[in-house]
Amino acid sequence: MVMKNPKLARVAQGARLELVPLQVVVPVVSTIIALGIGLVIIAATGASVVEAIEAFWDGMAGSDFNIGASINRAISLALVGLGFIFASRANLTNVGGEGQIAMGGMFATAAALHGAGGLPLGLAFIVPLAVGTLAGAVWGGLAGVLKAARGTNEVISTLLLSFIALPLVYWSVESFHLLRKPISDVSSLPESAEIPDSTKLPLLFPDNGSPLHIGLLIAAIAVVVVWLVLRHSSLGLRLRAVGLNAMASRRAGMRTSFYVILAMTVSGGLGGLGGAIMILGQQFYLTSDFSSGYGFDGLVVGLLSRGSAVGVVIGALLFGFLRSGSINMEISAQVPSAVVLICQGLIVIIIAGSAILTNRKVTR
Amino acid sequence: MAVLELSGLTKRFGAFTALDDISLQIERGEVHCLLGENGAGKSTLCNLVFGVHRPDAGTMTLGGEPFHPRGPAEALQRGVVMVHQHFSLVPNMSVAENLMLGRASAVLKPQDIIVRMEQLAAEYGLEIDPEARIEDLSVGERQRVEIIKCLLGDPQLLVLDEPTAVLQPDEIDALLAICRQVALRGKSVILVTHKLGEISRVADRTTVLRQGRIIETVAMEGADIRSLVRSMVGRDVQSAGSVLAAAVDIEGKTPVKPSGDAGPASPGEAVLEISDLVYRDPHGVPRLDGLSLTVGTGEIVGIAGVEGNGQTELGLILAGLAAPSAGAIVVGGTSVGGCSPQEITDAGVGIVPEDRHAVACIKELSVAENLFLGAIGKFSRFGLLDKSARRKAAEAMMRDFDVRASSPDVSMASLSGGNQQKAVLARELSLDPLVFLLAAQPTRGLDVGAIEAVYNRIRAARDDGLGVLLISSELEELMAVSDRIAVIYRGKLVGELAAGSFSREAIGAMMSGHAHV
Amino acid sequence: MIDEQMAVFIGSGLRLAVPIIFAATGEMLSERAGVLNLSLDGMMLMSAFTAALASWATGSPLIGVAAGVLVATALAAVQAVLSVTLRANQLVVGIGFNILALGSTTFLYREIFGPLSRDPIPGFAQLNLPWLAHIPVIGPALANQTGLAYVSILMVVVTWLILKYTSFGLAVRAVGEDPRAADKAGISVAKTRYLGVLYAGILAGLGGAFMSVADSNTFTENMTKGAGYLAITAVIFGGWNPWYTLAACLLFGFATALQFLVPALQLDVPVALLLLLPYLLALVAIAGFVGKSRQPSALTIPFERGG
Repeated sequence: MVMKNPKLARVAQGARLELVPLQVVVPVVSTIIALGIGLVIIAATGASVVEAIEAFWDGMAGSDFNIGASINRAISLALVGLGFIFASRANLTNVGGEGQIAMGGMFATAAALHGAGGLPLGLAFIVPLAVGTLAGAVWGGLAGVLKAARGTNEVISTLLLSFIALPLVYWSVESFHLLRKPISDVSSLPESAEIPDSTKLPLLFPDNGSPLHIGLLIAAIAVVVVWLVLRHSSLGLRLRAVGLNAMASRRAGMRTSFYVILAMTVSGGLGGLGGAIMILGQQFYLTSDFSSGYGFDGLVVGLLSRGSAVGVVIGALLFGFLRSGSINMEISAQVPSAVVLICQGLIVIIIAGSAILTNRKVTR
Repeated sequence: MAVLELSGLTKRFGAFTALDDISLQIERGEVHCLLGENGAGKSTLCNLVFGVHRPDAGTMTLGGEPFHPRGPAEALQRGVVMVHQHFSLVPNMSVAENLMLGRASAVLKPQDIIVRMEQLAAEYGLEIDPEARIEDLSVGERQRVEIIKCLLGDPQLLVLDEPTAVLQPDEIDALLAICRQVALRGKSVILVTHKLGEISRVADRTTVLRQGRIIETVAMEGADIRSLVRSMVGRDVQSAGSVLAAAVDIEGKTPVKPSGDAGPASPGEAVLEISDLVYRDPHGVPRLDGLSLTVGTGEIVGIAGVEGNGQTELGLILAGLAAPSAGAIVVGGTSVGGCSPQEITDAGVGIVPEDRHAVACIKELSVAENLFLGAIGKFSRFGLLDKSARRKAAEAMMRDFDVRASSPDVSMASLSGGNQQKAVLARELSLDPLVFLLAAQPTRGLDVGAIEAVYNRIRAARDDGLGVLLISSELEELMAVSDRIAVIYRGKLVGELAAGSFSREAIGAMMSGHAHV
Repeated sequence: MIDEQMAVFIGSGLRLAVPIIFAATGEMLSERAGVLNLSLDGMMLMSAFTAALASWATGSPLIGVAAGVLVATALAAVQAVLSVTLRANQLVVGIGFNILALGSTTFLYREIFGPLSRDPIPGFAQLNLPWLAHIPVIGPALANQTGLAYVSILMVVVTWLILKYTSFGLAVRAVGEDPRAADKAGISVAKTRYLGVLYAGILAGLGGAFMSVADSNTFTENMTKGAGYLAITAVIFGGWNPWYTLAACLLFGFATALQFLVPALQLDVPVALLLLLPYLLALVAIAGFVGKSRQPSALTIPFERGG
């Protein structure tokens, strides 16, 4: 290697300090641009923009119920996003949130339907949550093991694991041997039976009709724990070291494989927890596409946050509300909700494309 | 007549001026040396001429025409070719494929290249199998390919950036002879080096660079070597002593044991014992082939050898980053062969690895984090980091080892190479227990001041009773610092010299496998 | 097993393989130059939609294919700007494009065709080459394909020739392996990579257009169903070699076609498990349990000139 010149490097350091606000500016600006383009698209379809926005707002926050539903949505997105930043602290990109949600939701349903319902003292929902978390952890950890043992690129493996997980969920609700509910005269859809009431997550405000459940508290705890671990713990520093330079970390006595597997396992576990909460908190029965879109949303939330737990919270709320709004917009104002997908895609592309501004390296 | 004329050339990287107002003429048929310390701007100058970088100010002319290459492609087109410090050959392609790369013709014509290669073999004695894959070639052969690649298109100007660093002594002679031959055919050669020994053998004129400026340009006939050294280093020659001799490699002018450096060299019991060490790389090629070596307490054992003879692998195995295929390594009575890095550290081994950036430190992390990279748990309570305690400890360590940085919290990347290396030494020498230190190429890329500090630290460690193994490709460095020198050749030690009997010629012969002692 | 079922199975396996062959062949060349286009699926989806739209609007499937290729290539150009010039993370950009493509095709499809449209799209006729049809068992399957299917095999040959016998191919390999060395040999790394990505875009466009105007003669939302991802895994599976990549595509095509064959044979294998089979195979392949191949050293690593 060519020697790094001290003065030069100091300049680079200074430049980076100046650029710190860009970490905030870039996600904010790209979100604004993307939403602006979304509005233009809506206008271009000939729909009334005002009407669309009204429908959008109504869907997001028009009532206690809608607000609760939006936040519930944000809870799962936040958990997937936290999983993403946890892995990315070790320089790993977990894009398999969808599969981890699917596995978490599927196993949580199985646990809720088979045995957990009769457990006392809140264990009725805690056990399914734990089982779902574990399932997601295994699914994420698998990618970690492949990375550590075989050097398999985790982006590709987590994607493939998602494509494997989705048919598994489909299978579980297709097959009467697994989770499919028996055919009755009212319904024969391929879906699971509803989970017992005791396994549903308790509501925070049972009196005002808001569906907001204690998943909010779980997510809040997860945010604080992830923030502490990543920013202030020795584990966080080790993850970072391993991610930045595996060879030097190994020389310094760290078991790099262990940390790679750990990072992916925790990341997947958070996704699995998100999936379990979706089933136990709101959907109550498993369908083959219950996780649809959540994986990508969670991924975008993780990307937007730029590694900050607070950023994840903001991003998750943004997308939770956007999703709710877009669904209502499609129903009331006949504007396809796919416009939100367009915005999300644009956000990811703009942020990735502006990395050159934030990660500028001066090398000689 | 000047082939290349530079006037007022300036290049900045950010606020740092790498080259400042450089004006220089390269004549037709001359070998022109650029001399300077690491960081003096030699490589930057070459990169401007070859179009890798573009100047911020100043003009260049080539053969009288304006010359402002926007990239290597344009420089090549104008007849400027370059052999880079780090080879620029694609490793998993054949020689012929590498030579065809970048030549204009839509469909590949391997036959044309082979014919041209035969011509060059006849003209310069540069022979090589066109079908051989680059990754199977030795370092010397790869360099031959680089030179063939340069001469293929009948260039006007050949630029060689530190070409001898990786060569055996006889290969260096051959290369310098080719430089002369090229110049005799009316082409010009720019040879970059920080070694005076080479310059006096081949140069017509020498330009000395220091801190991005030209200090002087002198004709080599009758030139005073000592005054060149002074221009290059920028201070009085005598004060630098053996350090300087090692750094600039002045042939035959090094006192074997410099005065004021009468080290103890009274080795005690064995602290490191390597016996019959074998290492095969993933392709099954033996890189270490039955190497045996003992280092006692209180001695510095130097390992001399041309790069690629197993030194790197020896360093990796001692660091626990590669597992030996056979053989034993014992440190202070504990067997550590094939152990993990942590177990090796626990046995009392400090490692200053060859590749500072890849192995020794994590440049994105702070200085404090790097100083305690192996002891992250030491400053944590209930899993949370106690950053202020760590900062305090780091500040103390930086004071003790003269690591210059504005704060322990700045990134490692912001430090100069010398300060990075001092930080690595600080960390490794602060290990407890510590009985043995491996220093692999510890002064590579450092300036004279830092080299001196590194030598002093290594000697002090020896005086404290540590066993030190010094692996270096710089002969002068080994002769100045070691108490004993062993020579490695093709994965084996082929000879050993005790202090007082060091000689360049003897070591050089053993290094090239020509003699056994 | 009855011959007729076998012929149907082979026919559908081939038809399912064709889009993957197109996309994987282009992607292989791009990856040899060091750029991974995770956006392949998006390029295919955009092309499938545009081809269907143009074919429906003009009545000419040929114009449809041309329009599809054009749009996919435009997408590839943006991908190239981001991953080559702006040195963005190629994987993240790719995922962004896939979300964008899914969103915009779904949106436009609903706006233009309406949510439940089943308008027929003018498509290509099958060639029914008599001299092929006489081969037993596989003959009818080989003969009853559209012209575009044969073009996919032709593109494999062309790509192989480019890589092996042309300066451009040599430059592609050098740039993907050691861009610094290629740059210093006078090759433009950026130009070579741009061309590689555009090549991938053109072929992904052909693959996507094949889906809508040559295979199904219709467009459905998210009709690629991850074919682009399969193509990328086929490249890995095939060890960055054009012929092995072709073999991997055929394997994936037939694995997907199994979901039609198995119920027809009244075998009790869950369709869901057949759906995940190609991905499972791919996972096993990239985990390195099938052969050992070396990816281009500079794959996904942006190039920045330095001393």
